[in-house]
Amino acid sequence: MEFLNFLIILWAAWLVWRRPAREELAFRLLVLSCLLMALLFLVGTHTSLVPGVNL
Amino acid sequence: MPSSPGRAQSILAWAVIILMAGPVGAAVWLGLVQGDSPCILCWAQRTSMVLIALVGLFVLRYGPRPRYLGMAVLLGAWGVFMALRHSALHLARDVGQGFSAPIFGVHTYAWSWVVHWTVLAVIGVLLLLLRADDAASGTREPGRTGRFAMGLFLVVVAGNAFQAFASTGPPPFIGQADPVRFSLDPRHWVWSLEETAGAISLRGSWTIPEPDPAVVDPDPAHGPLADLPTLSVSGWEQVGVRLEGTLSDLARDPATGRFLAVTDGHGVYLLDSTLSQVLHHVVLDPGYSIDLSPLAGAAFLGGDTLAVLSTNKSYVLLRPDSSADANREWRHFLSTDGGVSELRRSRFATVRGRQMYVMSLAYDPAADELVTVTVPSPRHRRLVVSRFARTDFLPVSELVPILATGLTPSGPERTLADFVVTGAVVADGSLYALSAAYSTLLVMDPQGRMVRAAYAVPGLQSPTGLTARGSQLLVAQADGRIAVLERPAPQRSPAGS
Repeated sequence: MEFLNFLIILWAAWLVWRRPAREELAFRLLVLSCLLMALLFLVGTHTSLVPGVNL
Repeated sequence: MPSSPGRAQSILAWAVIILMAGPVGAAVWLGLVQGDSPCILCWAQRTSMVLIALVGLFVLRYGPRPRYLGMAVLLGAWGVFMALRHSALHLARDVGQGFSAPIFGVHTYAWSWVVHWTVLAVIGVLLLLLRADDAASGTREPGRTGRFAMGLFLVVVAGNAFQAFASTGPPPFIGQADPVRFSLDPRHWVWSLEETAGAISLRGSWTIPEPDPAVVDPDPAHGPLADLPTLSVSGWEQVGVRLEGTLSDLARDPATGRFLAVTDGHGVYLLDSTLSQVLHHVVLDPGYSIDLSPLAGAAFLGGDTLAVLSTNKSYVLLRPDSSADANREWRHFLSTDGGVSELRRSRFATVRGRQMYVMSLAYDPAADELVTVTVPSPRHRRLVVSRFARTDFLPVSELVPILATGLTPSGPERTLADFVVTGAVVADGSLYALSAAYSTLLVMDPQGRMVRAAYAVPGLQSPTGLTARGSQLLVAQADGRIAVLERPAPQRSPAGS
């Protein structure tokens, strides 16, 4: 999934640089990538969502 | 009409270049050249840095629109949380025990903390430099530096994509907690979904309920040890004074016969030998400094030094002191008779007994050590006898006792961890531990290596403490009554143990 996320990022960056008129699509890809990144982190920490310390 | 890049745009372009060539680029170099594969958490943190740089490209191209600035702040804040969560796995370990290779002496999960915090600071600087007309709509020409930043971004992200494909695989595979060294040889690649296993939890192994001996099963017949001999209560006594809170442990000074009683309301009472007169008393302030959960242990440490222990293994040393400074002691006590000084307040550190509460405290004068016994929780089912040196209050040993020959579990899943020890005392070369669960007295060697004998003690109701008086054991109960037991004859260790 990390590989997929970097492809999404590459797509968004390409649009910003070479197809600036597609701003809305690029922004939606940015949001999608952020959500995927956050989801993957939460998957990796789902057995203890907050830091493993004496809160 | 595209506008030319201003000062803030130039700074932003360089920020993107530094971010991509610095931490993100270095991470790719570490991976592809040094073989350092990121874990699933590292991947998310690296991706967050890449996304922050991508937001920078958006601002270069479209201007500092509120939604881009908002996205950058959100990414910075989330990145700081990720760095805290990830670093918490490793930062408290011993010197030199970090995870994976350090960069300039600092590990990558800690660098992520610095980077995301810096991002938030840079966004603040850029907002300070922002002019009212900078946020105008329209596409902007990024300039030569901006184009270089965009090209560098694509190259570095492509490198990340390649490394991610080899290390984590195509969807649905995800990163791993403990990844293997990076290799270009597909035979070495590990693609896994192991990180999806396990139940969702907010605090994980730190989810430990406070111990409550009132809810345990007191019936010895249901205990984890089979065919125990019975030790009958030979008499009853009573604490004859009013205590603030419920009695939670009782200790006796063999030299003077005085008693030390503590309560779950942080009351500490020095009583005479008849349990009918209060010689001194204080109520500890449990919250101004080191957090004291309900008191559960008491011991005389020789001389006039009194030790009390809370269930979270925080302890307080006290001393009767006719010249106690009332103003100095005001910070320590919610109430006092004016004749007690606090000597020390700190915590016991444990390894094997970590993340477990205790409900007992004993003092071994022969070794000059303090002894605690853990109580089990749904997360950690162990009975650990921990000993601490009186000289520095650091751990001396932490043992999980074994059963002597002749003691047998009552079922295949039954262990000593089923007991909830609420009282302990060292007397005549033995460690006695009384469990409120199944009303059982355990007799161990002083180090807690082996349970030599065990006795069912019927008739107890919510026992909270244990002490010795001559040939007797005194069991304190939550209702203030004291059960008197005649101490069983010493047990010999089996040969060869």
